[in-house]
Amino acid sequence: MLTPILEVKNLSARAGDKEIIKNFSLTINEGEIHALMGPNGAGKSTLAHVLAGKPNYEITSGSIKFLGRDLQQMKPEERATAGLFLSMQYPVAIPGVSTANFLKHAVNAKRKYNQQKELDAAEFLKLLRTESAALNIPAEMLKREINVGFSGGEKKRLEILQMRLLQPALAILDEADSGLDIDALRIVAEGINRLHNEHNALLIITHHLDLLNQITPDFVHIYYNGHIVRTGDKKLAEELEENGYKNFVENE
Amino acid sequence: MSFTEQNISLWGEDIPWLSGLRQKGRQAFTHCGWPTAKNEAWKYTAFSPEKLHNPQIIHENRHCSADCHCRHNHSPFPFKVYTVEFCNGQLHDENFADDLPQGITIKSLAEAIYDGEAQKYLGKSFAMENFPFAALNTAYIEQGVMILVEKNHQLDAPLYVHYHVHDEADCFCNIRNLIILESNASATIIEHYEADKNAAYFTNAVNEIFLNNSANLQHYTWQNEALEAHHVALNSVQLRTDSSYNSFILQNECATSRHESFINLQQRGAAAEVNGVYRLQNNGVSDITTNIRHLAESTYSNQLVKGVVNGQAKGVFQGQIHIAPDAINTEGHQLHRALLLSNSAEIDCKPELEIFADDVQCSHGATCGDLDPEQMFYMQTRGIDENTARQLLITAHLQEVIEKIPQQNIKDWFLQLI
Ligand SMILES: Nc1ncnc2c1ncn2[C@@H]1O[C@H](COP(=O)(O)OP(=O)(O)O)[C@@H](O)[C@H]1O
Ligand SMILES: [Mg+2]
Repeated sequence: MLTPILEVKNLSARAGDKEIIKNFSLTINEGEIHALMGPNGAGKSTLAHVLAGKPNYEITSGSIKFLGRDLQQMKPEERATAGLFLSMQYPVAIPGVSTANFLKHAVNAKRKYNQQKELDAAEFLKLLRTESAALNIPAEMLKREINVGFSGGEKKRLEILQMRLLQPALAILDEADSGLDIDALRIVAEGINRLHNEHNALLIITHHLDLLNQITPDFVHIYYNGHIVRTGDKKLAEELEENGYKNFVENE
Repeated sequence: MSFTEQNISLWGEDIPWLSGLRQKGRQAFTHCGWPTAKNEAWKYTAFSPEKLHNPQIIHENRHCSADCHCRHNHSPFPFKVYTVEFCNGQLHDENFADDLPQGITIKSLAEAIYDGEAQKYLGKSFAMENFPFAALNTAYIEQGVMILVEKNHQLDAPLYVHYHVHDEADCFCNIRNLIILESNASATIIEHYEADKNAAYFTNAVNEIFLNNSANLQHYTWQNEALEAHHVALNSVQLRTDSSYNSFILQNECATSRHESFINLQQRGAAAEVNGVYRLQNNGVSDITTNIRHLAESTYSNQLVKGVVNGQAKGVFQGQIHIAPDAINTEGHQLHRALLLSNSAEIDCKPELEIFADDVQCSHGATCGDLDPEQMFYMQTRGIDENTARQLLITAHLQEVIEKIPQQNIKDWFLQLI
């Protein structure tokens, strides 16, 4: 039997007067990898932000269930501690907050939620060393202020590091591959693959087949004008790579 | 009966120059009156006598028992300091200064006055008509210390000056210190104001600071007065050739707190760094006012002030940079950044640049806003709750100022306070 992690039904949401998500539905079950592809401005990042609980958007209809709970009733931090993770397309710089300190707060918030003992400085550092080494993140970078002056690739690796540390039930990866060179892409893809197992799920938002060649999706969705217009398997992504979006968006 | 008509008998009225100076102070204060909103320098920080509960100079050490920690050279720091203690505005002069290194003298102001040493400095660094509370302070000159670092000498550990008020609602702490660094001398001073309990006392402190050629003073103020207390302080600083004054204030909330720096860069190469942090969350007023006067060429000043204001509180920053016609090749910078976290809180910022010279580098800037919602959201998506996220951002905001403190142990001390 399939166990759903995320169930979105007929979701519509807007920013101000602008309707961005229009009657969107998607179910993601345990163990599944979904890819969401769509042209610029289709509303992919907005969908990711709405799922993560960004306050700027108003949900006008529909429902979202996460692990059986009504997601709309949960604050962003509750969603995170309950196991939803968003790797942002544009991670935010926070001057004055060191990366390591930030990560420690995040890890311990989750542990507290799970009624586990919070990690002390030494325990946390040990965990951090292991995980950051696997992503080729130098210790020096973790001492810096979070995302301040980080290159695009460094920011993305840091997002993946956070995902690894938080071990989410559902990771939404919004263009986790953008701005990465070939080596960095491989490292990021490996990090994602190491997370994935039969109890969690991934929603990968991407424009590129490269990432999907390394993380094989069970489903590929084409997203346009605020909802899914076509669902297929990896072949659909290959078709897109070949012909672009025009065949899918014209009859919309 | 008005505040200045109180029949307080002060010692030393038999010393003509002293009683003359006090008399001048009384006249200047009577002439200026209590500063109101009409007084440009006080327009955001109204300070009326009704707010003060009939303050009295306390001549005996009330409520201060023999085991009170202010009698025991108590220090909160994990590093060595020399200690001077005031209790309810009165100096505990029994036991300080016996372990001071050579070339350093600390004595009570009374002793310095009777010695005749104080006369040369007292009231010489500012014009009383411009500083109503310093005039008031002058009218009641009694308590304070004189700190003298002789030529080429260094104070090898910070001097901790502790102003401690017991549960004394009506206490008037009128403190006047003289700080004199001779040529090439250096010292670090940490002033700390605190109270046992919440009480509506009144602190009015004036430091007159004289830095001779190449002298260096690191001056820290940790203002942690009682929530209902009123606090006014003036640092009036005169700097000669190549001397430097580096100050930092941590201003915690009290009913009204005004921390004013009047800095005269009198000779070539003099430099001042005037930084501060204020935090308010109830309905207090916190005012940081600076007036930095570049009076000679190649002088330098830099100010970074950051605040956080919540509740119904008010934060004020007034920064005046004056560059005299001859003061070519000078640099004066100023930045005030405040977080305004509530709709009923207020921030007033008044930068004033008066530049009469060419070839100067000057800048000023001010920002005022709420916490960044994108930063808040980013933290929350990592599971950090709203309250913790706010605290992290507030600390990050204030920390930048503290990071500028050049002495690691003192920097660490202030970092753990925010
Ligand atoms: N807060 C907002 N206010 C107004 N318009 C927004 C807001 N967020 C997104 N949009 C608009 O919604 C559309 C979809 O944006 P986005 O979700 O970033 O698309 P994608 O990630 O698919 O490229 C864009 O036209 C964008 O400008
Ligand atoms: Mg996007």
